[in-house]
Amino acid sequence: MPSTSQRMAGDLAGRMAAVVGERNCISDPAGLLVYEYDGLTHGRTRPSLVVLPGSTDEVVEVVKLARAAGVPIVPRGAGTGLSGGARPTPGCVVVGLSRMNRVLAVDLEGGTARVEPGVVNLDVSRAAAAAGLYYAPDPSSQSVCTIGGNVAENSGGAHCLKYGFTVNHVLAARVVLDGGEVVDLGGPSLDTPGYDLLAVLVGSEGMLGIVTEVTLRLLRKPQATSTFFATFPSTDEAGDAVSGIIAAGILPAAIEMMDRLAIAAARAATGLDWPDVGAALLMDADGPAAEAEHVARRAVEIARQAGALEVRIPRDEAERQLMWKGRKSAFAAVGRLSPNYMVEDGVIPRSEIARVLRDIAAMARQAGLRVANVFHAGDGNLHPLILYDARAPGEEERAARLGREILRLCVRYGGSITGEHGVGAEKADAMSDMFTEDDLETMARVRCAFDPAGRFNPGKMFPTPRLCGEKPGPYVAHPLETSGEAERW
Amino acid sequence: MVAGAREGTPADAVLGVIPRLVLEPSTVEEAVEAMRACARDRLRLLFVGGATEIELGRPPAALDAVLRTVRLARVVEHAPSDQIAVVEAGTRLSDLQRLLSAHRQRVALDPPLPEAATLGGVVAANAFGPRRHRFGSARDLVVGMGFVRADGTPAKGGGKVVKNVAGFDVPRLLVGSLGTLALLTTVTVRLYPLPEAEETVLVPDLDAMALRQVVTALGAEQLEPSSVAALLESDRFRLGIRFEGFAPGVAEQRRNLLALAERLGRRAEPLDDGAARAFWGRHDAVRGDGPLRAKLSAPPAALAQVAGAALMPLLSALQGGAAVVYPTLGFAFASGQPAAADATARAVESARAALARLGGSLVLGAAPGEVRALVDPWGPPPPGLDLMRRVKARLDPDARLAPGRFVGGI
Repeated sequence: MPSTSQRMAGDLAGRMAAVVGERNCISDPAGLLVYEYDGLTHGRTRPSLVVLPGSTDEVVEVVKLARAAGVPIVPRGAGTGLSGGARPTPGCVVVGLSRMNRVLAVDLEGGTARVEPGVVNLDVSRAAAAAGLYYAPDPSSQSVCTIGGNVAENSGGAHCLKYGFTVNHVLAARVVLDGGEVVDLGGPSLDTPGYDLLAVLVGSEGMLGIVTEVTLRLLRKPQATSTFFATFPSTDEAGDAVSGIIAAGILPAAIEMMDRLAIAAARAATGLDWPDVGAALLMDADGPAAEAEHVARRAVEIARQAGALEVRIPRDEAERQLMWKGRKSAFAAVGRLSPNYMVEDGVIPRSEIARVLRDIAAMARQAGLRVANVFHAGDGNLHPLILYDARAPGEEERAARLGREILRLCVRYGGSITGEHGVGAEKADAMSDMFTEDDLETMARVRCAFDPAGRFNPGKMFPTPRLCGEKPGPYVAHPLETSGEAERW
Repeated sequence: MVAGAREGTPADAVLGVIPRLVLEPSTVEEAVEAMRACARDRLRLLFVGGATEIELGRPPAALDAVLRTVRLARVVEHAPSDQIAVVEAGTRLSDLQRLLSAHRQRVALDPPLPEAATLGGVVAANAFGPRRHRFGSARDLVVGMGFVRADGTPAKGGGKVVKNVAGFDVPRLLVGSLGTLALLTTVTVRLYPLPEAEETVLVPDLDAMALRQVVTALGAEQLEPSSVAALLESDRFRLGIRFEGFAPGVAEQRRNLLALAERLGRRAEPLDDGAARAFWGRHDAVRGDGPLRAKLSAPPAALAQVAGAALMPLLSALQGGAAVVYPTLGFAFASGQPAAADATARAVESARAALARLGGSLVLGAAPGEVRALVDPWGPPPPGLDLMRRVKARLDPDARLAPGRFVGGI
């Protein structure tokens, strides 16, 4: 005989199926399996149900049903996130937005695109390419990750140094709140009167509501892009080159650094003839032709002065693409060097790159682990890849501990625990390294304004689960409070 | 009684409302103390920086105290190689720019009246100038903030690095919140290098259609100016296009623009330094002057409709009316002296209706009392108003911070 909770889940599944259709409501264990985790593969939780709504109206009904049943909702895009932001909460309904994948309108004259959240990042640029426009934020996963997920995480990418993050490119969003209210934030023109709630929604990691429509700003493709690849004896000289380039008043479109291990991985994955050196930089300068050319030339001079061993300038676009392919493949290619690896994401002031990388190397040696570094040097956004072997007893824990120490190091240098992957499930406890209790409480108040019941993606971002103190009304202890699982503030 | 407070005088009035007390903390610690004392005494208060945007919004519904930030004027940290500065909110924008220029850097914010405007005020009012075309507005440049909540709790959001997604973006929520959610005490801003070269090219004698045509062609030609602004003179636009960057790039862009203008059959003239200063000076005067100032917003592609159905009719209800348009951003700014309050109010409402049809809005940045009595400076409530009220209720539950001043009476 099914237990009460199973029966309740079954009833809810039936009601959800009536909204989204049988085939878009997944409750069998095999079907649920792929929803147990996202791009962060360690740590899994099985949801009680996955629903795939096809419209804003369906999302509204789904949210109302979840609310009536008192179950949490975890929104999900393509599941490529690297912080466990889409990892299910026990007993939750996962609301997958993959079916809402229509480009609703592209306004080439106005330079905007209105899309559903399940549209793949790169498909926005494809839809605008004929008019010479593109969508600027370019996370490495852009061929699979979706706009809804990008909005949730405020995704960046290699070129956000010059062009900014998702928040700088979203003009409007439609969001479904707990209770089923549909609210439009932002609008077709800039500076809608009132609080900039759109800016809060972007990067809120699915904790405020479900975004069902997004209006994006499209940019004109730059006239020219000048690229170079430079090698250095070590990350010290490469770090000096980055500092020198920025100090010369240059704003590169992108400037990426790889260390010896990352270069080796990229070489192994792509067959590129990159040499065995301590560090390499890959830089794009773009804009009007003379500006891009001038800037690239200056940057090359600075790189040489900083001690570059060799500078390569791609002969044509094909070779340029190959260089970028090497950079972009370095992440996954590290898998060739080690059975397992963890990706960290921390930010430091860029002038400290050389020192911090030395510190990380020392910490890695002490932990008996190898760390490869491939990262966005221009904005100091480190991505240490910690190599380990999960079969070796204790090594995974050691790797996780090293990751956490690296984040603390970033905070000590005045940086951040995440530059683009988000806090999610993985780094919730690290938030206390960066923020005081009062800072976190202020954020929690913002969340309570949107979602007083804590319906959306509970248990993420905050180190301690929080309940929204409802006012006015007499104080009644919440069951989670009496059980010691959460505290009121 | 709050320590260090003095009595308010008519000179301290905000939109005609005289506060009982005036506080001028000189350190962040004193500001926290003052906020705690105001919370304890349940004082309704309003924050004033350089007062350049003091006429924005409705008069406060009630006012016990004004907290002036002008003595919070330290640059806490400037890291030239990391291109960030941590600045106390009362720092004058021009003072900050002078300090940064010694390192060949700047904050890429150029709102009107930088000699008076404070960084905190600029951020709280979301004030901006023509360089927004290239650099964005405060929401794009502020990377962190220190603030004091209504209950006197100091807190912070964001950080000191440009790339940072840790936690909800409280700083961006506070940008443009006009002191209704918290007192800003420090602002951390992203800096940009000062350009090596700068040049303005003038394209005169354009009607609205032609202005839109030139601006669209700029994009199609992949030109990347830092500012695009048009002055309206009688019924023709004089378009100023400013390039900033390294000398070879600026020179090439000027050449390309001149060639483009020729292809379009338009006259274009590079301005020498004096003429460029005069053009941008005139721009600043239109933006910063006038007893009535209106900001019109609409999608940039609707420029001709904005000019015909909103801007021109509004100007005809003003004496000495003048206007500036940012055609790439979709903003128009009109200023002047209302000829008659009721006619001006009608013109504002009718411009609002026209802009609403285009997906835009009109906000009064300043207006005489007679006009205020007839129209709401914010216009009809935006769609997210209920949610905005909920945010306000969470951060300032007793509605003590600038009560009634903001959108929808928040």
